Amino acid sequence: MSAVEMIQIWVMAFFTLAIFSFLYKDNPVYRVAEHIFAGLSAGYYVGLIWKSVIIQQLWEPMMAGSWWLIIPGLLGALMFARFWEKISWVSRISLAFVMGNTAGIFLISQLHGLVLPQIKATMLPLGGGGGLTAALLAIIIVLGVISTLIYFYFSKEHKGALGVTAKVGIWFIMIAFGAHFGYTVMARISLLIGRVYFLWNDWLGSLAHIF
Amino acid sequence: MRTVVPVIIAFLSGFIMIVAFFFNPDKTILGKIESEVLVWVTIVGGFTLLLGVVSITRVNWQAVKTKKKGWIYNFLTLLSIFVMAIPAMLPSSWSPFFGDSSGSVYDWLFNYIDAPMMGTMFAMLAFYIASAAFRAFRARNAEATLLLLTAVLVMLWRIPMGEAFLRLFSDSLPQMINNYVMNGVNLAVQRGILIGAALGAASMSLRIMLGIERTYMGKG
Amino acid sequence: MSIWDKILQLDRRWIYLMVALAVIFPLIVPMTFKIYITPEVRQLYNAIDSLPDSSVVMLTFDYYPSTLAETEPMSVAALNQLFQKNCKVLTLTTVPLGGPSIAERVTRKIAKKYHKVYGVDYVNLGYKANYVAVLKGMGTSIEAIYPTDNSGTPLSKLPMMKHIKNYNDIKFIFVVSDNGIVDYWISIVNAQYGIPVGSGVTAVMAPKFYSYIGSKQMTGLLGGMKGAAEYEILVKERGMAVKGMTMQSLVHLLIIGLVILGNVAFFASRRNHKKGEHF
Repeated sequence: MSAVEMIQIWVMAFFTLAIFSFLYKDNPVYRVAEHIFAGLSAGYYVGLIWKSVIIQQLWEPMMAGSWWLIIPGLLGALMFARFWEKISWVSRISLAFVMGNTAGIFLISQLHGLVLPQIKATMLPLGGGGGLTAALLAIIIVLGVISTLIYFYFSKEHKGALGVTAKVGIWFIMIAFGAHFGYTVMARISLLIGRVYFLWNDWLGSLAHIF
Repeated sequence: MRTVVPVIIAFLSGFIMIVAFFFNPDKTILGKIESEVLVWVTIVGGFTLLLGVVSITRVNWQAVKTKKKGWIYNFLTLLSIFVMAIPAMLPSSWSPFFGDSSGSVYDWLFNYIDAPMMGTMFAMLAFYIASAAFRAFRARNAEATLLLLTAVLVMLWRIPMGEAFLRLFSDSLPQMINNYVMNGVNLAVQRGILIGAALGAASMSLRIMLGIERTYMGKG
Repeated sequence: MSIWDKILQLDRRWIYLMVALAVIFPLIVPMTFKIYITPEVRQLYNAIDSLPDSSVVMLTFDYYPSTLAETEPMSVAALNQLFQKNCKVLTLTTVPLGGPSIAERVTRKIAKKYHKVYGVDYVNLGYKANYVAVLKGMGTSIEAIYPTDNSGTPLSKLPMMKHIKNYNDIKFIFVVSDNGIVDYWISIVNAQYGIPVGSGVTAVMAPKFYSYIGSKQMTGLLGGMKGAAEYEILVKERGMAVKGMTMQSLVHLLIIGLVILGNVAFFASRRNHKKGEHF
C-alpha cells in the first residue's frame, strides 16, 4: 500500500467517523464535516455544469457555427434575474419554457407509457393458460388494483359498496406496505454494510501496514 | 405581460412535444424543431442547478459577513465550494490537478471526501430504522398486524439465512412469497398507486400548459 | 417500574450498538449461506445472455454516492456480463451529483480487466441536465444531446459511435438507479421506442417495479443488495453484494427480534398497567 493510498483511506475514514459521531450526539466535528459536505457538493455542481453544459453544449458548438445556441444560453442566464426583485419576473420565461416542455412530454408519456399499459396488463384472462396459480393471481391483481384505486378516491364518502371496497383496499395496502417496509429495512442496512466494510477492511486493514 | 408571456411560452413549448409525438422526427420539420427544443431544455436545465449553487453561496456569504453565530461553519462551506469548483473550471492542459479527470483535485475531493460522507449519512438510517422498528412497530389492530407480519416475512425471505429458515417449513414457501406477496398483492397495490399518480401527473401537466397551474412562477 | 417498562425505555444508543455489532460479527466469524436466484434476476441475466455478440447496450449510472453499497455491485456485475458477451457498452448518467465520476471510475476499472478499448468497446457519455428532455431527445439523436463524450471528445471521433445514432441502434437498456428516473425509462423510452429495459434498483424502490415486470414493460429486476448478490452469482463474479449477505442476514434477524421484543414488552406493560388500575 502506497503512502498516497494510505492518506486516501485515512481521509475517508476520518470523514466517515465524523458523520457517524452524530449517532452519539451533535458535535463540532460532525458540523465541520456536514458543512464541508454541503460545500463540496455545491462545488461539484459548478464543475459539472461548467464542463457538460457551458463548454460542451454551448461554447464548443457555438464556436463550430451553431450560433443560435445563444438563445438557450440567454434563457439560462435569465434564471439569475430571480436575485433582483425588480426584474425577477423575467426568470419566469426560462422556467415556463422548461416547465411547459416537461409538461408536454409528461402528458403523453404518463398516459401512453404508464396508464394504458398498466390497465391493459390488469385485464387478464382467467382461463388463459397458466393453471390455477395464474387464475388466482389474476383475481388478486384485479381486486387489488380496483380496491386500491377506490381507497385513494376521496371525491365520494366511503359508504356502502364503496366503503366495503375501500376496506378491502386497506388490507391489500397493508400487505404491500409491509413488503415495502421489509425492503426499506434491507436498503438501509445495505448502506451501513458498505461503510462498515470499508472501515473494517480498508481502514483497520491499513493499520496492519503501519504496525 | 409578466404572466401572459410565460403562459404562452409554456403552452407552445409543451404543445410542440405533444404534436411531434404523432409524427416521424426524422422526416418532418416538426421533428427537427422538437429535437432542437429538447437540446435547448437540457441547456436551460443546467442553469437551474447553478441557480441553487449561487443561492447557497449568497446565504453563507451573508452569514460570514454579518458574523452570525456559527459563521465559521458557513465559511467552511464557502471555502469548500471554491476549492472544489475553481480547479474543475481550469483547463486540464495547464495542470493534471485541474479539470475533472482522474487525479484532479475535483475528482479526488469527490471520491475521498464527498462520496464517503454522503454514503455515511444514508448509512445512519439503518440505526434509526432499527430503533423505530423497536419503538413504533406495534400490532395494535388487525391492519397493523398484517403489515407487521408481511414485513417480517419479507425481511426473512430477502436474506439467505431467513430463506433457509423458511424452507424448513416448505421448499416452495419462498417462491409463494414471490408469487403471491410481491407479484400478487404488492404488484396490484403498486399498480393502483401508479395509475392514480400517472393520471394526476397528466392532469397537472395539462394545467401547467393551459396556464391554470402557475405556482411555479412564484409571487409577483 | 416493571422490567417491561424498562425495556420499552431502552436508550436508543444501545440499539445502535446492537446493530453495529450485528454488522461487524460476520467480519470476525465468516459464515456462508446458499443464495437462491429469484425469477426476476434470472430474467434480466437471460435477456442479456441472449443478445447477439457485439450488441450495443446502454448502461446507466443513475445513482448518487449515497447508495453506492447497493448499486455499484450491480453496475460492476452488469459490466462483467456485458464485456464477457463482447457487447458494446454506452454509459451515461442523469444524476448530477457524482454520476459522471462514478460511471468513469467503475467502467474504466472493469474494462481494463477485459482489455476493452475506450471509444471502440465502450463510451461514457457523461451527464446532461433535465433527464426528461435527455431521454426523449436521444430518441432522435444521441449526438444532438451529447455532442461530446464525458471527457470532451466529439462523438464523431469515436469509432463505436459511428453506427449509433439513436435508440434504434441500441439492443438493450440496463438502468441502475436509486431514484424515480426508472419510471421515465419505461414511460418514455420503452413505451415510445420499444427498447427492452431491465433495471437494478435500490431495495426501497424495488417493490414498485413489480408492476412493470407484470405488465412486461420491464425485462428483469435486481432489487437491492440481495438482487445484486443473485446477479453476481449468475455472472460468476462474486463481489461486494455476496459478501454483504451474511451481515444483511444478521441485522435483519436482529430487527425482527427487536420488533418481537418491542411488541411483547408493549403488551405486557399495558396488561400490567391495566391490572394496576383495578387495585
